Amino acid sequence: MKIKSKSSHLLALTSAALSMPAFSAAQPVETEISVRTSLYKEENVPADNIIFGDDVRYDIDIHQFSLLTPVGEKWSLGFNAARESMSGASPWGTVADADGAATLIMSGATISESRKEFSLSTQRYFNKSSLGIEVSRSKENDYEADAIVLSTEWDSDNKLSTLTLGMSYSKDKITPTDAILFGRVLEKEKTSQSYSLGWTQILDKTSVLQSGIRVTKHSGYLTDPYKLRDARPDERLEWSVNFRYRKFIESTNAALHTNYRYYEDSYKVRSHTVETAWYQNIAGNFQLAPNLRYYSQRKASFYLPIDDYTLPLTTNQSSDYRLSTFGAFTVGLKAIYNQPTWAVSFSVENYKSRGKYSLTNAETEHPALLSFSLASIGFDFRF
Amino acid sequence: MELFIFPFKSMGCPCELRIYAGQKHQAQLAAKACMDEATRFEQKYSRYLDSSAATEINRSAGIKPVEIDAETYAILKYAGVCYEQSNGLFDISSGVLRHVWHTQRSELPSEDEILRHLNLVGWEKVELSDQNIFLPISGMELDFGGIVKEYAADAIAALARTMSIRHGLVNLGGDISIIGPQVNNRPWPIGIVHPTIADTAISVIHLANGALATSGGYERYVEIAGKRYSHLINPQTGWPVESLLSVSVVAEQAVVAGSVSSIALLQGEQLGLNWLSTIGLKYLAIDADLHCNGAVGRDSFSSGSPVAHE
Repeated sequence: MKIKSKSSHLLALTSAALSMPAFSAAQPVETEISVRTSLYKEENVPADNIIFGDDVRYDIDIHQFSLLTPVGEKWSLGFNAARESMSGASPWGTVADADGAATLIMSGATISESRKEFSLSTQRYFNKSSLGIEVSRSKENDYEADAIVLSTEWDSDNKLSTLTLGMSYSKDKITPTDAILFGRVLEKEKTSQSYSLGWTQILDKTSVLQSGIRVTKHSGYLTDPYKLRDARPDERLEWSVNFRYRKFIESTNAALHTNYRYYEDSYKVRSHTVETAWYQNIAGNFQLAPNLRYYSQRKASFYLPIDDYTLPLTTNQSSDYRLSTFGAFTVGLKAIYNQPTWAVSFSVENYKSRGKYSLTNAETEHPALLSFSLASIGFDFRF
Repeated sequence: MELFIFPFKSMGCPCELRIYAGQKHQAQLAAKACMDEATRFEQKYSRYLDSSAATEINRSAGIKPVEIDAETYAILKYAGVCYEQSNGLFDISSGVLRHVWHTQRSELPSEDEILRHLNLVGWEKVELSDQNIFLPISGMELDFGGIVKEYAADAIAALARTMSIRHGLVNLGGDISIIGPQVNNRPWPIGIVHPTIADTAISVIHLANGALATSGGYERYVEIAGKRYSHLINPQTGWPVESLLSVSVVAEQAVVAGSVSSIALLQGEQLGLNWLSTIGLKYLAIDADLHCNGAVGRDSFSSGSPVAHE
């Protein structure tokens, strides 16, 4: 008797086995608590690029807490809290220097504020699907945001594919500080709605491909009220597609992660992101993961390197570096130590953006392009 | 944390739970739920119990379709995949051939007797939908034993995990599903029973996760004219298979380990070893000369280990 080729048998048996009820318990079976502290530090702006204001940019301390716990057999409950403390200066605008090049007007380094965010979520697990809802609130002294997210997940009969659908709505309110002193708007609102569709496919024993699309629409006041001259369309439609591929390589006991994302919006901003990471298992419970990310962006249609005070206030324009043409490289390293009931992870990341890193010709580089370092340490507990 | 051991009997086999827990009552509570689950499987799928779902299906052969629930459908669908993947060797409708090769036999059966029974065998004849199953010929029988014991080990391990047991194992008559490693992340040592020397391990396998199942043809046999015929019967020829003495397989799920080891045995020694070497799982196959083949550990036996036997 001749029997067909090898691991196709194992795959067929395993996928049939996984569709049996005992293996459908995807809900968390234990309570998980994570705490994480991160330090984010932006590099100072070169003093030559500033005509007015401070060169010290943002430092942010971030503290995060999350808890996920099962409730009965069919439900789980999650709680997240985060607190960020920021201090430093931010760009207010650009003017031309004696040579006609863009030079920065920065705020004073006295900005010091904090942001708090809470979210509460619950998920109901069914035999082959789950349904989740999350509400969140974020608050700064000049900004408030409330959001609601609905999500659902469907497993195929053979458990080799999963379909995910997500929908979110948020309402943000901005009340700029020193509004009267600087002639800023007093109070403005914006709303965002987002729809996502994802597909995860287990390709074989060691590889999985995830893909997804997302469409987001922002409406309302999308202008930056702190900029000296900034006017943006009151609607922004964004869409993106992404692919993530994970491959476990048995011979080296490591996993390769590669991601690609394409993004485009109605401001005519376009970007590509590629990322790759190598998760190397060392000695059973220690993992080391270097990663590299490249980002390239094309500017918004109304981006101006130098604020134009001759244009009417209603004409769209912005000198925000985030809307300029630039590219960025991120290198990072993560170390994870795993124990059955706890894990500790430590990561560092360095980000550098430049006009010439973009795939599109930047013509002029924005003087306030960002470079930052991020270090974080986190603990996870399961019980 | 302390190790609590609960021996019990289910599905005609000695069984055992090993559970690490902070307090005794936590271990007892989990063990009670696990043993109840084992009893539930036994009462639902035993051929010997009049009230079981399996008996109702068999009793209705040739008469009428029987309504089935989602769990039974999932198990039957899995049985169908085993049948396909083994080219018909693993067939849960082959149990009637036991009546031909019963242990009281003193002479070989006639070809006619074998053929008559073979007519009652064949998964392809079974009519299965997600609501009903129908065995079209009176006398046909399904035997869930070859799947349910292993599947129950997985289901009980999953149940223990939902009760916050992180470290432990489920052993249903040698089919073992790991709940989680021992405390300090140590793997569990699992003895593979010697095919010919009772209560002795021929090898020890260390498992931190996943499952192990063992199938063997050495324990039950009929001796006719000085020759031993094993209880492993090829459902296509109706004749016993001369094969490996025992096959143990390590897989993520006990149910997969069990079907891989059964399919290996049913193919006979050489084809069985070929199948095992290409399947992509760790295994230990013991041949008629008591040679161990395969990739899993050959450590010496350490006493006190749970012992896997068929």
